[in-house]
Amino acid sequence: MISQIVVILIVMIVAYLIGQWRHFSVELSLFFAALFGAIAGAFFSTPHWSEIFRHLVEGSFTYLDIILVFSTATIFMTILRESGGIDYIVHSSMKALSKIRPLALLVLMIIVLIPGALTGAGSVSLLVVGAPVAAALRHLGISRPRTAAILFILAGLSAAAPPVNIWAMVLCAGTAIPYVGFELPLGLPVILLGTFTIFTLGWKREKNGPDEVTLAKVEAFLGMSWWRVVLPFIVLFGLILAYRLWPFKMPVLGLPLEFFLVSIIAWLTSPKKLPFFPISRETMARLLPLIATMVVIGMLQQIMTATGVRGLLSYLVISIPIIVLFILLAVIIPVSEGILTYGAAAILGIPLIWYLDSLGYHATVAISGLSLLWPLGDGLPPTALIGRLSVMVSNFEGSYWSFLRRTWLPWIVITIVGVLMVVFSHKLSFLVRWSVG
Amino acid sequence: MIRIKIVLLIILVIILTISGFQLYHHRHYQIPIVAGPGVTRVLKLSHYLPSLKGSMADTWVFFLEGQEPGGKVLILGNTHANEPEGLLTALVIIENGQVEKGTVIIIPQFNHSASRFTRPGDGYPLFFEIPTSWGKKKFRMGNREASPLDQWPDPDVYIHYPERQLLSFLDARNVNRTWPGRPNGLPMEQVTFAAMELIRQERVDLVIDIHGAETMFPVTNCIVAPEKSAKLATMVSLTVKAMEKFDNHVEPSPPKFRGLSHREIGDYSEAMPFLLEAPIPFLDQPTGPKTERLLLDGRDPFLLRLARKKKLFVPYDETGWPMDKRVGQHLSVTLELLKQYSRRTPDRAIVIHNVPRYAEVVEHGVGYYFVNPSTVSPDKIYFN
Repeated sequence: MISQIVVILIVMIVAYLIGQWRHFSVELSLFFAALFGAIAGAFFSTPHWSEIFRHLVEGSFTYLDIILVFSTATIFMTILRESGGIDYIVHSSMKALSKIRPLALLVLMIIVLIPGALTGAGSVSLLVVGAPVAAALRHLGISRPRTAAILFILAGLSAAAPPVNIWAMVLCAGTAIPYVGFELPLGLPVILLGTFTIFTLGWKREKNGPDEVTLAKVEAFLGMSWWRVVLPFIVLFGLILAYRLWPFKMPVLGLPLEFFLVSIIAWLTSPKKLPFFPISRETMARLLPLIATMVVIGMLQQIMTATGVRGLLSYLVISIPIIVLFILLAVIIPVSEGILTYGAAAILGIPLIWYLDSLGYHATVAISGLSLLWPLGDGLPPTALIGRLSVMVSNFEGSYWSFLRRTWLPWIVITIVGVLMVVFSHKLSFLVRWSVG
Repeated sequence: MIRIKIVLLIILVIILTISGFQLYHHRHYQIPIVAGPGVTRVLKLSHYLPSLKGSMADTWVFFLEGQEPGGKVLILGNTHANEPEGLLTALVIIENGQVEKGTVIIIPQFNHSASRFTRPGDGYPLFFEIPTSWGKKKFRMGNREASPLDQWPDPDVYIHYPERQLLSFLDARNVNRTWPGRPNGLPMEQVTFAAMELIRQERVDLVIDIHGAETMFPVTNCIVAPEKSAKLATMVSLTVKAMEKFDNHVEPSPPKFRGLSHREIGDYSEAMPFLLEAPIPFLDQPTGPKTERLLLDGRDPFLLRLARKKKLFVPYDETGWPMDKRVGQHLSVTLELLKQYSRRTPDRAIVIHNVPRYAEVVEHGVGYYFVNPSTVSPDKIYFN
């Protein structure tokens, strides 16, 4: 059976490489990998021929919820941008803070961390506050590639930050470990690493003076005011917080509906009349590559499982000797995220945590350490979900690698901290005790 | 270009039609449950919470009542519908059991919605078949969580009632995280609340929640019990080890992990809860293809290699962990729990006959104990 799975894996890799060689998009290449993997598997009845279409279609629904969140959040941000609200925020906040650079950087860091921390999705941070923060960073004299690098690292950290960390939640659900005691093991490194990132990448002013282009644009929207910009955010965070405060009285709206509601509010409070449906249509067209990625990754994950390829990869990871495993975590975890996004936590993370738990490592701290490494993979192809969004919201038009290169220093520091948290999880268990009280 | 687009669109429609039909068939396939000679009453769970009536969350409750009064036990199958040993164990008791003293109450498909949902991304087969002397009995393979068609949207994080513990958003649809539930909560919270009402109104003494767990999961092949159930669980564990030669150790129910049956039922009622786990290799991550065969025989080359490296929590060899062994263990542990409890509290004794034990199920296969639905009166057949 093992040789049959290896053959299927080779077919999938070859199909992906041929797709890339023929200059198909990443999404199409991944789809070919899934399709030909399924066809190769069908020769061994894993899956049966009659089941190939069902597996592809069923797999395409794996990340439907995340797709809905992306879509509605981006529509909201687009309406806010079209109304002139983003330019207004940049102008006003930078006018007040740009002379106290460290404070301005810290405030911008916290603005990026909050949406992702509340929703568990770095993409939401970028979609909600990415564009105005990018403009503010440029206003502080930080170049576009550095801006994209800062946004990428901070958005990743925001997804890892408590109270909502989807990787940790998937692992806790799969290993029957309670999702409690994560406040300090996650919160402390996120704040420290976030501060380190924004100071190392943003301390140096790269341009001579502030970028006045964005600020000048605000003049065109005289009707804009603070309450028009802030009201949709107050409603959004109000809805999220209200469920936290009164969970048994509030109806469950879900993030997609919450973003849709605040889109309507942003549209109603806009000082100029905006065409809601054309803006929504254009936004969805812009998001199509990201949506396609999530759909195809779901298909790939389903086919990998049905054919046994996922099991083979999982087996290889937990068969590695523990010392080598610790060293390889720096590579395995981000790469798995780059290929499978959240699916990586289920495929590799669950057996890994069981394995570490059985060896006496502290599961909660180990999960926290791994949670710092996974977001780094969101900058790696084939998916590069957060990386691509960072580039998009900061309007960086250079090559993807020139942006990713700028992240090397925080990337290495985050990796070292994450791996050390796993290795010394038992010694750091006091963080869990202090969190629980 | 337009021609290419039209061709692609036609291909897409064909793919969606074929797979849509298969998925529709899965959601609407009916599993006949035969009410055996011991079944005296059959109710819907909505009897205990009318708001469930007519929803996919509603499910059948079977009563097997003895001539003599005694204690009461509630047995739950398919709390997680991707752990089918729970359903099969419950059906063997419903179709064969005859109660002499006390009452046995069984909910074979506790998370009914989850049994009609597949698991996107995990490549499960849609159905599995158990061989019997009269042919094959076909079952739906379900999911761990209820279908989003029946409970949606998910919250961004699930906040457990009433302890306010933060759990994964998926756990809002997991009936082993929503105990003790609330009457006006999410549908799955209503399911567990209705079961709590059943436990309180019927004065249930014991609750047995039947599961399967991965071989790489430390809490497997065991009885999970809170403080109040620990002594009885230990007695049972020692007895089955001595008499029937299989391991089933006792795991304490963690007091700080909320929402689970073995924690909340004990805390919010007089009943003693037990959660039974048998190893189900199909659910492990490092396995070969997720096939019906792996589900039924539990044999896998990767797990065998990992067992040799001592990375599993259960003994594992070339024979795997077949379904018959898993169901047999659950039946023996259930019967032993009733026996030991009856011995300790004779006035609340529960005595049941005609239910096979471990060795018999392993010898004959679980299918041997299923009745052919075509040979019984239609009023004895229940479809959820």
